[in-house]
Amino acid sequence: MPNLLRHHRLKLTALLLAANLGLLLHLAAGDLKAMAEWVWLDLIGEGGSALLALAWLGLILKSRPAGRVTNLLAIGLGCVFFSWWVDLLDEFIQIPDAITWDHWLESAPMPLGLLLLTYGLYHWHHEQLAISAQMEKRERLFREHRLFDKLTPLGGADYLRRQLELSLAQSSREQQPLSLVVIDIDDFDSINQRYGHAEGDRVLQAVTQQMLLNLRHQDLLCRLAGDRFVVLLSNTGETLARTLATELAQSIAHLAHKSRQHGERLFLSATTATVMALQESPENLLQRLNLALAKAKQPLALSA
Amino acid sequence: MTLPCHWYECDTRCIAVHQQPASLIELCLSRGIDSHRLLRGTSLFLEDVAQATTQISPSQFLVLIDNAQRLLAADDSSFLFGQRLLPGHHGAASQALALANNLQQALELLGELRALLSPLLSPRLLLDEQHAYLYWLDSCGLGEQRRFLLEANMTAVVAMSRRLGGEHLPWQFHFRQAAPRQIEQYWVHLGEDLHFNRPYDLLRLPRECLTRPWPQTVQSTAQVACQQARQQLQALGVQASLLDTLQRWLLRHVRQAPNLEHAAAALAMSPATLKRKLHKHGTSYQEQHDQIRLLVALYLYQLKGYSNDEVASHLRFHDATNFRRSFKRWTGLAPSALRQLLGN
Repeated sequence: MPNLLRHHRLKLTALLLAANLGLLLHLAAGDLKAMAEWVWLDLIGEGGSALLALAWLGLILKSRPAGRVTNLLAIGLGCVFFSWWVDLLDEFIQIPDAITWDHWLESAPMPLGLLLLTYGLYHWHHEQLAISAQMEKRERLFREHRLFDKLTPLGGADYLRRQLELSLAQSSREQQPLSLVVIDIDDFDSINQRYGHAEGDRVLQAVTQQMLLNLRHQDLLCRLAGDRFVVLLSNTGETLARTLATELAQSIAHLAHKSRQHGERLFLSATTATVMALQESPENLLQRLNLALAKAKQPLALSA
Repeated sequence: MTLPCHWYECDTRCIAVHQQPASLIELCLSRGIDSHRLLRGTSLFLEDVAQATTQISPSQFLVLIDNAQRLLAADDSSFLFGQRLLPGHHGAASQALALANNLQQALELLGELRALLSPLLSPRLLLDEQHAYLYWLDSCGLGEQRRFLLEANMTAVVAMSRRLGGEHLPWQFHFRQAAPRQIEQYWVHLGEDLHFNRPYDLLRLPRECLTRPWPQTVQSTAQVACQQARQQLQALGVQASLLDTLQRWLLRHVRQAPNLEHAAAALAMSPATLKRKLHKHGTSYQEQHDQIRLLVALYLYQLKGYSNDEVASHLRFHDATNFRRSFKRWTGLAPSALRQLLGN
C-alpha cells in the first residue's frame, strides 16, 4: 500500500499544533525548573508513555485506510498522547499554584481519549468480523500472516500442516472422516514459458478465486507449493471428496482465463487426487497425498 | 604439467549481469521488492542491469542471492529462479542448448559451457551402463547459498529436459543435506524420488532417456549455434573457476595422492598462494582433496564394484584400515554402511 500516512496529514498537524500550544501556554504561565529539581523517574515514565502513545498512533495510521474507525482510534490515541505530554511538561515547568487550568489540560483528555479508543476498538472488532468473513475457506481458527503465501494469498504448506494437526486430532476425537484433495494444474510450466511468469502468477490467482467459489464454507484451501493446491475437507468421506475433486477440476477446465497482453483464452486443466486420513501424522498424510497425485499423473506423462 | 590460467575466482568479474543475475532481479521486482534494498551491498545499480557489458563477480552474485532470498522470504524462490535459468538468455549458448539433439548433448554442452551457464556450481556428467549421473560441485565457495543454488540448478535442468524433450523424465534426486522443512517445494518443482543425507548432490536418470531425440532440433543451425557458443566462451576468457580447475586436476591425478605442493605447481603458483586463494573461497586443500577422493571411492564401489582393499590401493592408502578411518571422517559412515545405504 502506498504511504497511508499522507491521508492523515490533517490529524497529525492538529496534534502537533495542540502539543505546541500546550508547551507555549506552560512557558507563558510558569517558570523553568532547575535541572536539580527534575525527577528522573517521572521524566522517563511519562516521557516514555507519551512516546509509546505516539508510536501506536503512527502504526495505526500507517496500517489502516482512512475511515470512521481509524478516526476514532486516532483521536483517542491523540488525546492520550496529549495528556501524557502535558504531564511531562509539568516536570520541566513550574506552574504557580493559583493557576488551575493546567490540571484540566492534563487530566481531561485522558478519560475522553480512552473512551474514544474503546469505542473505536469496539467498532474495529465488528470490522474485523466483516473482514474475516472474506477470509472464509482461506483460514481457520488461527491467523499467522507469516505462513501465508504472498501471491494468491492462501496459507502455505506450513499453515496446512498446522491445520492438519488440529483437524486430525479433531476427527479422531469426534470419529468423523477427514479427507484431502490435491489439485495440480497440468502443464503449468508451459503457460509460464508461452505467456511469461507474470501471466502464470495471474493464472494462479484466478484459479485460486475459482476454487474458493466452488468450496463449501467449512473447507480450507491452501497452496502447497507452485501450482499445487490442497483442500482440507473436515467431516468428509472419500466418495464425497472425489465428487468435490471432480467438480474442482471441471471448474478449472471451464475457467476462461484471458491473458493480459492479448486477451487470449488460456485452456487450463488440472489433475486431482484424493486421500482419506487414517491414524497418521500430517507428514505421512501429505506424503501419501503426493504419491496419489503422482499416480494420477502417470498416464499423462506416458502419453505426452 | 602446468594448466593454462583460464580460471576465475570468487572476485573475478565474469558473470554478465543481464543474464542470470537479471533473471533473479526480475523475479524480485515482479514480487514488489524494492530495488535499492535488493542491490544493497552488490555495488550494482538498476541501470547497470540492462547494460550488456556489466559483469559481476561470483561474490557479488552471492550477495544478490542472499538479499533476494531474505527479501522474498518465500520457500519457492530458488525454484522459481531455477525455472528461468535454462536454456536461459545467454545468446548462442542458450540457442545451442535449445537446439540440442537430445538430453545427453544438452548436458554435455552444459558442462562444457558451465562458466556461462552455471558459473557458481559446476555440473559433471557421468555414465554407466544403466544410468546417467549429473553431479554438482561447489565451484566458488558458496557457503550458505549452496542449497539455494543446488535447488535452482537442479530445477533448471529438470525444467529444461521437460520443455525441450516434451516429457516428464524419471529423475532421481540425491542431496547431501538433510530433508528440508519445505519438502513440498521439492515435490512440486523437482519430483517424488528424493533422497537426503547422501554423500553427494546429484541427479540420476535411466540412461536410455538421454538419447531419445528431441523434437525441435535443426542439425545445421545447432552446429552453428555450438560454434558461436564456443566463441562466446572464448570471448569470456575463462572456462572454469579456480576450485573447478583444481577439482578436475585432482580427479585426474587422484591415483598419485597429490599434495598441496603438487597442485600449486600444476596451477603455476606457490603453495602459499594456493592456500590463500582456497582460504578466500572458504575451503582448504584437504577439504577439496577429501571431496574428490570420496567421489572416486564411491564411483569405484558403485560403478566398478571394487572391494575396500581395491579402492584403498587405488587411492594410494597404506592399508584398508587407514582408508576406512578416512572414509568415516568424510561421510560419518563406514564404507560398508554407506554401501548398504546406497544399495537400495
